[in-house]
Amino acid sequence: MPTADRRRERKERDTLSVEWVKLELLRTAYATRGGLLASRDPRFVIGWYLIFAVVPWFTHDLTVLAGLFLVCAVAVVLSRVGPLILGLFVFGFVLESLYVLFAAWFFGGDLSTVLALVELTLKLATVSLASMAAFVSLDPEKLSDALLALHAPAMVAFGVSYGYRMLPMLMEEFHTVVDGHRLRAAPLPSPGFLGWRVVVRTGSTVVAAFYPLMLNTAKRTRTTVEALETKGFTYAAEHPAGRRIRLAHLKADRWDAVLIAATVLLVAGCFTLGELYPLPVQVG
Amino acid sequence: MSATPRPVDVRDTAGPPALNSGQKLMVFVLSMTLFGLANILTEVLPEVRIGPVEISVSYLAFVPVVMASLFHPLYAALGAPLGEIVFVDLLMGDFSGLGELEGYLQMFLAVYIGGCLVRDPRRRGQLFLAGVTVVVVDKMLSAIVDIGKVMVGVEDAEYVPGLPESILLLEGVGFTTDVIISGVLFGALPAMVLAPRLYGKIEPLLGLAPRDPARPHPLTERGTGAFLLLALVLAFVSMIAAFTSEIFDNFGVWEPDFIDQYGQRFLWIGVSAAVIVLAALVIAIRFVVHSRRERAAQEDR
Repeated sequence: MPTADRRRERKERDTLSVEWVKLELLRTAYATRGGLLASRDPRFVIGWYLIFAVVPWFTHDLTVLAGLFLVCAVAVVLSRVGPLILGLFVFGFVLESLYVLFAAWFFGGDLSTVLALVELTLKLATVSLASMAAFVSLDPEKLSDALLALHAPAMVAFGVSYGYRMLPMLMEEFHTVVDGHRLRAAPLPSPGFLGWRVVVRTGSTVVAAFYPLMLNTAKRTRTTVEALETKGFTYAAEHPAGRRIRLAHLKADRWDAVLIAATVLLVAGCFTLGELYPLPVQVG
Repeated sequence: MSATPRPVDVRDTAGPPALNSGQKLMVFVLSMTLFGLANILTEVLPEVRIGPVEISVSYLAFVPVVMASLFHPLYAALGAPLGEIVFVDLLMGDFSGLGELEGYLQMFLAVYIGGCLVRDPRRRGQLFLAGVTVVVVDKMLSAIVDIGKVMVGVEDAEYVPGLPESILLLEGVGFTTDVIISGVLFGALPAMVLAPRLYGKIEPLLGLAPRDPARPHPLTERGTGAFLLLALVLAFVSMIAAFTSEIFDNFGVWEPDFIDQYGQRFLWIGVSAAVIVLAALVIAIRFVVHSRRERAAQEDR
């Protein structure tokens, strides 16, 4: 980055981070990195995720939880989750644990408090890792087809695929509108005490930018929905023949079975390990 | 075209003109997209932490408030929390399963109540009330669930010194700052500016008639006995959904001394969870049977 840009970086942090989040989201939504779960049948990927979303809540044993955490961490590495999403997770994870630990310490807890909180944090982190691995591997079309195959309401399936498709355009448009506001507005005379003028300006720009955005999105939504309805969207989503045609490409092969079997074996392995080396959270 | 508005039937003064399926989908999608986008922005807005007090924008509440006060509140309220889940939670990878259900129900209820409070989107007082109500209802429900988790559910709350007080204090402080920042500054005030300006401009873009104060939505008119009941049930379901993880936790301790240990109050949670699961099962089975029958009928056609 040229030095001039770097010098301006501090001033333009909010725009830069909008840009940054935009790129990061696009990378996540249209994952082309490949990986372990990306080539599997989406229904099985969702099943895989559900296993790890539910199992951690059945145990109090730190060994089991650590094992599950490790399995999910390996899955995240194998699914090639992007470094920025992962960094965000680690950052939030560390910050949250520090914060909770501080709160418990501040109000006079001891080691058992810490252990109880570690248990909870491990559970949440495991679920979070699993969801990262699963949803990074699914592109919007696959996800919405899988949801439809699992009998989710057609509106939800549609919302997922529409949302992911529209997102880049909306972000772009929002950015343009905000830039327009910045160009037309006079620069602030001074940041004020603690930069309150900057805060007020940022807040009011964000709010004002939603006015044209709402109108434009309304127009665009009508176009999309009318085009869809012309093709019989609502009818096709409910009619069994339409469903069958749309979901015909979902085919499970033996690798999907292997994935689920291996997952169940690993989870069972974690619980066996917990039996052998129990490390229950003793409270009281 | 499917979305052209039907001519307003002047004889029917009971409520606003009914929406067709395309219009419902439009309102739903619009509310979902805009609130999703607003949530992504919220992730970017910086937060300031002064000790345990966190000053941050938890969401841009004015977006769902404007949507629910201009359009049909039910479809706007159904769409908004889904936008949050789809755009932020799935994309950013912090999808939390059952916890999302809790958040969805809370937000749905809050936006729906807020939208029903507005009869005329040009009146700023009503918009202010709606904006504050959305955040108060949403945050209050989640605070109650959080406190309840500690008081009732979490197995070690009583034995962990300092945890209940700290959570109570943090929830109280968080609630106050949320109502001021998300509710007033980023909820009520922007809604008061935007909704009157959008009124009459945005509805024709969707092929809808602007909200007519003389023909309010039936739920707002009828004093809402049934609606309050529905709200209570939904709040309860969202609470139980949040407790479910604690119930899972306690599978290991279903032993004779369980009641001595946890007291009677834990039982009603288990019982009501069972009742809700049973009711959901019955509804699901009826739904499946019904849809099978319908599908069979369609196949025959």
